[in-house]
Amino acid sequence: MPVLEVREVSKSFDAVRAVCGVSFSAQRGEILGFLGPNGAGKTTTIRMIMGILQPDQGEIRFTLNGQSNQVNKERIGYLPEERGLYDDAKVLDTLIYFAELKGLPRSEAQTQVLEWLERFDLTEWAKRKIEKLSKGMQQKVQFIAAVLHRPDLVVLDEPFSGLDPVNQDLFKEVIRELKEDGMTILLSSHQMNRVEELCDRIFLIHHGKRVLYGDLSEIKEAHGEHVVRLRYAGNAGFLSIDPRIKDLRMSGDRATFTLHKEVEPDAFVRNIPPDLVIREIAVERPPLHDIFVHTVAGGNHETQ
Amino acid sequence: MKLNKVVRWEFRKAVMNKGFVIMTVLLPALIGLVILVYGLVEGGTSSSGSLNPPPFLIAVFLALLLFLGAFISGVIVFYGVLKEKGSRVVELMLSSVSAKDLMAGKIIGLGLAGLIQVTVWATIAYFAARRFLPITLSGLSPVQLVSYPLYFIFGYLLIAILYATAASTMKDVHSGGAQGMVGLIVYLPMMFLKMLIEHPNLPWIRAAGFFPPFAPSVMMIRIAVTKVPWWEVVLSLTLLAGTVYLLARFAAKVFEVGTLMYGKSANLREIWKWGIHPSRT
Repeated sequence: MPVLEVREVSKSFDAVRAVCGVSFSAQRGEILGFLGPNGAGKTTTIRMIMGILQPDQGEIRFTLNGQSNQVNKERIGYLPEERGLYDDAKVLDTLIYFAELKGLPRSEAQTQVLEWLERFDLTEWAKRKIEKLSKGMQQKVQFIAAVLHRPDLVVLDEPFSGLDPVNQDLFKEVIRELKEDGMTILLSSHQMNRVEELCDRIFLIHHGKRVLYGDLSEIKEAHGEHVVRLRYAGNAGFLSIDPRIKDLRMSGDRATFTLHKEVEPDAFVRNIPPDLVIREIAVERPPLHDIFVHTVAGGNHETQ
Repeated sequence: MKLNKVVRWEFRKAVMNKGFVIMTVLLPALIGLVILVYGLVEGGTSSSGSLNPPPFLIAVFLALLLFLGAFISGVIVFYGVLKEKGSRVVELMLSSVSAKDLMAGKIIGLGLAGLIQVTVWATIAYFAARRFLPITLSGLSPVQLVSYPLYFIFGYLLIAILYATAASTMKDVHSGGAQGMVGLIVYLPMMFLKMLIEHPNLPWIRAAGFFPPFAPSVMMIRIAVTKVPWWEVVLSLTLLAGTVYLLARFAAKVFEVGTLMYGKSANLREIWKWGIHPSRT
């Protein structure tokens, strides 16, 4: 049973159709990548899931404990892309307030908040005002606000933007833990490498419509071709005439190219001429980044 | 349930604010102290009753205080909504509470803070003034005692709802437009204060008392300085309360749409449309 089910949802603002007939679902304990270029209808869709906006058509249903319902705001969490907190309030007070709004009793809220602050290394900032915190710290506070009531579904919109690498890893670790605990996570991000690291499935929206949806490895499989990254010494002249490869880019001792669909990477590597010395080599499915760009650019082309 | 929490949060945030403490206690206390010291230096002649204030002084003073208190609290609501929208925290809030609860919580919470403010001001002013003016609370009539709190409450609600709605449809504090006029409407009668006190029964002044945005200020002053027929008070209050009710319903819908609309200020046509047909937006 999916925790979240979005069925044929549409939403217009005046003459602009922001979202047209979008459907997808998210299972318990999965991280669904929620992708799309700027202005594709992502925020509108998220706001409808959060119950902030009402769809014109279609339906959004949550199934929790075997019961199917419309949105229960106490069981969902949200880290909006537009960050913001009450600047003049203290960290601890703010988080307890947000937890209480999600239905946690005050005493439990306090315990939870203190645990989370500890986890994010913010304990000594508990009594400080939000405005005294750095941007990264404020982001941690917002992240805590999104998950501290242990919602069944949390929407994280660009959780990594503006974080240093250490904190990006911390966020990643926590997100994985939450997933293990059975939380359903909608991860919206433009950082494709992060999406690849974390997501089981992805959903790509473009011009308000669904253009890609499904298992990440299957999508990569469907986008077939392997990309080879090579650092070499010796003679690489054969690369420019080999019919099995395309999109060759060479600079210095590096080459990047794509293998045609029917070419087996194993066979290709075995047949590299001996006068080319391999220093480093990577053969990969195309990165999500390329699939994203290809799909979105292709989609643009079709509609124009 | 959630409304309670929003009210408590907004109230606490308001009264813990340094500006609030300065405005409510320190400043009036200082002024009160200056007046007291001045009275003592003058040799205490003041308390002997050599000054003879008009009998309605305390009522006029109370009316002004209540109006000013309601107005200032309304302005605080205005800035509160703008700030909440500007910092985008509103997005997070709306994933927990409805727009209606958020707006109502802010207005009620800040209203309670305003009530405290007015009470402190009135108390300080009363004791400071009594040092050298022969005034007593018994000078207040039953009509005043009953109608003033109602004018304060509904007047505040009207101002706060207007301001919250205006702020929710503005891009930022610098963008003016039609929203900037809202503040002036309720304040307009104050420009004619002298005339209100001297000629409270002119036909157009009586008429203004029935116009809800003018009613709190005009009627409280009129009731202070002249005998206003009871039906006029009841009618004016009924119109005011009815307007507050209708406006609140309209405003909740506008607020819901406007507060998530960043980057541009809405014009009057859009505001009207949001308030009447919210489902289209």
